[in-house]
Order: sequence, then structure tokens, then C-alpha cells
Amino acid sequence: MSEMKKIKNLKEFSTSADRFEGANLLCPGCAHSIIVREVLNATNDDLILSASTGCLEVCTAVYPYTSWDASWIHIGFENGSTAVAGAESMYKALKTKGRLKQPDRNPKFVSFAGDGASYDIGFQWISGCMERGHNMMHIVLDNEVYANTGGQRSSSTPIGSSATTSPAGRVSYGEKRNKKDMVSIMASHHIPYAAQVAPNKWKDMVKKIQHGFSVEGPVFINAVSPCTTEWKFDPKDTMHMADLATDSLVFPLYEIIDGHELNITYRPKDVIPVEEYLAAQGRFKHLFKDEYKYLIKEWQERVDANWAYLNRREAARV
Amino acid sequence: MAKQGWDEFEIGAMLRTFEGKIEDIAGTNQEDRAYSQNSSFVASVADWRIAKPVFNKDFCIDCQFCWIYCPDVSIISRDKKMIGVDMDHCKGCGICVEVCPTNPKSLLMFPEKADEETELAAWPTKNKETI
Repeated sequence: MSEMKKIKNLKEFSTSADRFEGANLLCPGCAHSIIVREVLNATNDDLILSASTGCLEVCTAVYPYTSWDASWIHIGFENGSTAVAGAESMYKALKTKGRLKQPDRNPKFVSFAGDGASYDIGFQWISGCMERGHNMMHIVLDNEVYANTGGQRSSSTPIGSSATTSPAGRVSYGEKRNKKDMVSIMASHHIPYAAQVAPNKWKDMVKKIQHGFSVEGPVFINAVSPCTTEWKFDPKDTMHMADLATDSLVFPLYEIIDGHELNITYRPKDVIPVEEYLAAQGRFKHLFKDEYKYLIKEWQERVDANWAYLNRREAARV
Repeated sequence: MAKQGWDEFEIGAMLRTFEGKIEDIAGTNQEDRAYSQNSSFVASVADWRIAKPVFNKDFCIDCQFCWIYCPDVSIISRDKKMIGVDMDHCKGCGICVEVCPTNPKSLLMFPEKADEETELAAWPTKNKETI
């Protein structure tokens, strides 16, 4: 195992040479590339990457350009994770046979996917990768919608959100199902590490990514990625939106080690009401009409219940 | 068309980011890398911008918040110092200005056509009310 990159503070981190390039076609203010940069800069080792179909893939690999300075592959919507798992298996086999030219380089295997490619379409593939125990990391860029194809609902879309396939209007308040708890599902595979991260907490993020790289076995990371186009806010407010998400506990930051040891890694000093998080986004605008106000109350209760649940799990070590 | 084996690529299916071989990418800064014509580094999205960030180094404390939160790798930091903005790749989102903690801000957004030197000369002074 090669030495883990030492990152004490942001100044030290800023000496990293980026392996992700600008002039990709992501929207101005997109959080995807912020997350990708934080992940790639967390290590100095070689990287073997994949991206499933989604915003990140269509925007960073538009012929004749690629924005990646590492080995990167795209195949289909569902199989980004298995492509990397295959590469990892091949690497292991060649290493065992002694056929690698530079066996001490110790590359890291990472697959990126959006929430559509992870929660819905690639779900079975990811589950397979986690179950087979490949030494890889799967990172979900969770923007809670199929943003690439025009904002259809995914199973990550939360209640009350207006998506193009579940629009809010006279008869409906938008999405009626709550998002699925993907981190818990993946942690139930008893993988060594599963965590939820946010781009605004870069230190927490880098720590978790490095922990993920250091363990042997599959790692699952769920990263909240505020989407300026589909969440409908101003591009400059991306980090503010991520702050609102983590501080209102809509996206609590925690990690689950070996499927049972849950640690909450960020406790906001001042917990802000969920109402502020909802009010900042255009996709929840209709919730502030009189007839739908009860949903905001339900939101708050749901978030509080989830936070209490996480705290109970942390205390009981289950 | 010649028949291809399972391990051969169609032309265009594989892009090389660099010209020739590169040993240590993570230890080589962007200006020292030999990018090929297929890297988006050689492209520009400058025409996306309607507003541009202007950097005033007099007030900068090199906290690097703008560097970490820039989605387009457009904040150039070398040796722990913020040097400037890469105007070929900046899309003008304005995140760097939002996260800048100094008072007055050391990065501000101006219309794309604005003259940088005029704006730097007329930079706002310290605002005592909003801290």
C-alpha cells in the first residue's frame, strides 16, 4: 500500500495538480465537478475511473474532447460500476501472475454515477459489485433527479419536489414517494465502508475518501450535488445550497463501517429549519401555497425522525 | 472494413489526453503537461460568460476557498498562493465570489465587457456593517 497523501489544511490541498480539466460542458455552478475534483485530488496514486451515463459523462467526454487526465471509461447507463470491477479483477489477476510491468503503482478504482444510474438503473450492478467484494469505490453524485435528460423523477427525488414526470399543479404536489435510503441499503451488504458526503465540507469529504481508499474491499459514497438547473437556484448559490442541505440535516453526514458501526461526522452548531432549505429552491416553490403547507411540517418531522434514528444507531453501534 | 478483434478499438473510441508518455500526472502542474488536441484543456468556454470574476490580490488572504469550490478548475493556485483566474475555462458562475471571506471581497463579478483596470481602481472599501 502506497503512502496516503497528507492533507492537513486547504493551503496544502491547493498544491494538488488537478486531473480533471475545465472546458467541460457542465452547467456553470454545477456541483458535480467540485465533488470530482475533491475526490481526485485526495490521492496522488494512479486512477482508473468510469462514469455511468449522466450529466458527468455526457459533459466531460464530448468528442473530440475528454476532460479526464486518468484512465477513464464509459460503457452504458447501468454498468459503470461493473466496468471498473472488471478492470480491478484483471489487475488482481495480472498481479498474481506477476505480469504487471509496474506492480507497485497501486492504482485506485473509482466509478462515478448519478443518482439515476445508481438508485434505479444500475442498482443491481452496484449491488453485485458490493457483494463480490471488489476493491473499488462507487461514488453517487446525488442531484435527486435525471438532470441530463430533462428532469424526470428518480427514486432519489424527495417528496414534494416538482419533476417533469411528477409535476406540481392543481391536482398534485409533485413527487409522492420519499427517496430511498441508499447508504443503508449498501451498508447492509456489510461492505467495509459506506458514507454520505457533501462538497461544502471538503475536509470531511477528503477524510472519508482517503479512508475509503485505504480499506480493502468495496466502498460506497453518496455525495449530495446541488443542481442549479433542476433545483432551480442561481448558479452562484451552489455552495450555499449545500450548506443548507447539511445544516438543516436533510443530508446528514455520516459513515457506516463494516455495516454496523455508524458515526455521525458532522453536527451543525445551529440546525436550521428545513423550511429554509425548501424555500431556497424553485422545485419546492409550490409547497408554500396554503393547501400544501402541511407538507413542510411533514418534511421537518421526517428529517427530525431520521436524525434521531441516526443518533440511536450511533449510540447503539448497530 | 477490416474485421476487428475483441480488444481493438474503433478510431475515435479512445482519446489520449497527453502527447506521448507522462509518468507522474499528479506531480505535474497543468502548465508543464503536454496536452494533446483531445484534452478539453485546449478548448475554451469563455463565450459562455456574461459576467466575469476580477481578482484583486491586495485583499486576498490565500485561504483557497475559491480554489476548492471552483467547478471549472479555473482558479490558478501555485505554491499555496492564489495567482489568478483562468479565463479560458471560467464559465462565470460566481461561486468564487460567494465563498470569498475577505472584507471587501478580493474577487468580484463584473460584466464581461468591463475593463479590469478601471474596476480595480474603483474597488469597494471595507464595509464595517456587514461582517
